Amino acid sequence: MKEFQMSLQPVLARGVRYRWDEFRQQHQLLFPEGLLVLNTTGAAIVRLCHNRSIEQIRNKLAQSFSDADLGPDIHEFLERLVERGLIQWCADPEPRLQD
Amino acid sequence: MEQRTITGAQSTAKDDRMEPRPFALLAELTYRCPLHCPYCSNPLQLAKYRNELDTSTWQRVLTEASALGVVQVHFSGGEPLVRPDVVELVATARAVDLYSNLSTGATTADPQILANLREAGLDALQISLLDAREAENDFFAGAPSFKQKQSAVRAARQLGFPITLNVVLHRQNLSRLQEIIDLAVTWQVDRLELAHVQYTGWAFQNRSALLPSRAQVESAEQIVANARERTGDHLQILHVLPDYFQEYPKTCLNGWGRTFLTVAPDGVVLPCQTAREIPQLCFPNVQDGSLETIWFHDPVFQRFRGTDWMPEPCRSCDRREIDYGGCRCQAFLLAGDPAVTDPVCRLSPHHHLVEHELQQAERASPDFAYRVMSGGEGLGQQ
Repeated sequence: MKEFQMSLQPVLARGVRYRWDEFRQQHQLLFPEGLLVLNTTGAAIVRLCHNRSIEQIRNKLAQSFSDADLGPDIHEFLERLVERGLIQWCADPEPRLQD
Repeated sequence: MEQRTITGAQSTAKDDRMEPRPFALLAELTYRCPLHCPYCSNPLQLAKYRNELDTSTWQRVLTEASALGVVQVHFSGGEPLVRPDVVELVATARAVDLYSNLSTGATTADPQILANLREAGLDALQISLLDAREAENDFFAGAPSFKQKQSAVRAARQLGFPITLNVVLHRQNLSRLQEIIDLAVTWQVDRLELAHVQYTGWAFQNRSALLPSRAQVESAEQIVANARERTGDHLQILHVLPDYFQEYPKTCLNGWGRTFLTVAPDGVVLPCQTAREIPQLCFPNVQDGSLETIWFHDPVFQRFRGTDWMPEPCRSCDRREIDYGGCRCQAFLLAGDPAVTDPVCRLSPHHHLVEHELQQAERASPDFAYRVMSGGEGLGQQ
């Protein structure tokens, strides 16, 4: 993976909300007229999509998941959400939050 | 409502709580509307249902919906903005943890009410558009509305709303599909929903004027495919194909009483918003019981739930849990019986009825009748 991609910051697109559904014991991503059920890893990524680069998300996740490099997986997962208009890239040269 | 699982299967914890539970509630706040769209999904006998639930009853409905498992509410109508309590109801939806969508024809969507809705927590806004050109839009709507829609989109964008532009496609506007897509790009909306007419309600009455030719449908698919390549991630384009042209029926609402319910303006609870036109069925009212009791126990919600009710060819079909027999309203409208296979299915013994309509559609189309609340009918002129 190229370095510039790791510095990209994913943010939830307008109108997209994460929600835990207690009834169904599900992580959900809600958007206009739709709902996406996320697995545990997906939910963990989405919940970190705020003021963080992919690299920072990877580092954060490495603390709770296995030691394998999650970077490419995170990128691929986020790209799929970008295609569906649920995530947007916001390139930010100066990360505002230190992990 | 769209539902998908991403990044592999999710093992959902099952317990003894009842299944299925609805995900989405369509709250039709009123049948009143300044527009007269000839494909409206509201009942033909609009004037029969003038009574509307009061604010506190709607608030109870929203609270009960959330407790029942609903995660999204869609405020619609008629025109929901003609209700003076719409902002209050949006705030209630937010308070009970419902994701809220609102569909408007935008003729009454001034910047102030949009700002109030935003502040009350409305998540997403849908604005209808009937055509890319002002004259045609206003003609199909039976009322001047293009300019108001344009202003509403602009105001909503400034407020940071995610905006879906909803355009219903039919034989009289399909030739301007490219212009419609271009307009959505110019107006900078987030999503464009291009839904071909569903032939129930007013649209069934106006079917011969609205049903496109096969060539039009195929051309539309091509135009949308090309547009998707061009717009990429900037504009999400949803294209809902007309089911008359498909081999198998649509999975209507993910199946009867499975994921979706409607509460009509007068409090009638429906598995789908057009189902009240099926005379063989009797529907409960929120004033007679809780949504939970109605959803799980009312006979009409059980009537076509699952697969036990199915006749052949559905009963032994391996698609029975894919399309759940299709649309019950369509089965009634076309075959006169809501309990038969949707005639759109090529395996249905009534499929020739659909074929006949498609053949008719290859010829010229007559005028349509506007949606009106009184008994009178206005004929659209070509």
